[in-house]
Amino acid sequence: MNAIAASFAVSSAHDKNTGVGTLQRERELNRFLMDVEKRALRIAEISVRDRDEAMDIVQDAMIGLARKYAHREGSEWAPLFYRILQNGVRDWHRRRSVRQRVMSWFGGAAGDEDAADPIAIAADPDGRTPEQQLQSHEAMQALERALTVLPLRQREAFMLRTFEGLDVAGVAIAMRCTEGSVKTHYSRAVHALREMLGEHWR
Amino acid sequence: MNDKDDMSDDERIARQTKELFDESVRGLDAETLSRLNRSRQKALAELKPGGGELRWLRWSPAVAAAVVAAAVVWRAGDLEQLPPDAASDFEMLLAGEELELLEDLEFYRWLALTAEEPDADDHVG
Repeated sequence: MNAIAASFAVSSAHDKNTGVGTLQRERELNRFLMDVEKRALRIAEISVRDRDEAMDIVQDAMIGLARKYAHREGSEWAPLFYRILQNGVRDWHRRRSVRQRVMSWFGGAAGDEDAADPIAIAADPDGRTPEQQLQSHEAMQALERALTVLPLRQREAFMLRTFEGLDVAGVAIAMRCTEGSVKTHYSRAVHALREMLGEHWR
Repeated sequence: MNDKDDMSDDERIARQTKELFDESVRGLDAETLSRLNRSRQKALAELKPGGGELRWLRWSPAVAAAVVAAAVVWRAGDLEQLPPDAASDFEMLLAGEELELLEDLEFYRWLALTAEEPDADDHVG
């Protein structure tokens, strides 16, 4: 078990912060959130294919971390933050499914008008030639499409390991599973991506 | 292809996807960064005594329960048409803070009414 996991296991009884300690904690949390927020937004956006929805999920994760885990060691924040974020993404998918069932029950037209347009939500690259922008844009779109096809757990494991840089133990905490499961999900995700993206990137 | 080749391919795909992802992160526009900043400030407000402007939402499940119950009564005549998993759907609605969905229900009710009265649109405007 690495340092993060060990720290995670023993620090649940930390003292409540007061006064100067609270100010210090606020600064530390601000730094952590500043560091993680942009990547978290893109990770959520890739999962739900909608920037506004992703923004709401990230905000909820930030508030959840501050409300429940601000007193924890800073080294624990990343896996805890991403645990909340992934729960938010899963809840979003469940709500979407329920919403569609309720819509059909009430006789509403369950059209595709709320399906996100991957072109509209794609990032706008900066500081490169048009050709480079186009190549990068197309490659990112291909990557997002491939990630969307992956099973949810594989996508989570891959994005947390590769995009956020969490170690296996951190991903296991975020995903509430064993480290062995993380390795399996990650390995399958990489192989699936190789199959799907190989023709573009070889 | 041996294990060594597989490993290098895995690393390559991870590196390439990470570079693309980081590039898309750097490309986030100013408005998005501003919204992230506001979200962060809301989160930090939770650390202040009495902070957290969203605490009022704790009572929203009760509101959600009342509105969903009203919707069910409204559609009581169609109860025999409820899908088998309707109970879990409502449980899901009550467990979360689905105010947006509940607002949508009002729209669906209007939609159903206008569907039953084909001439209703003629009076708009």
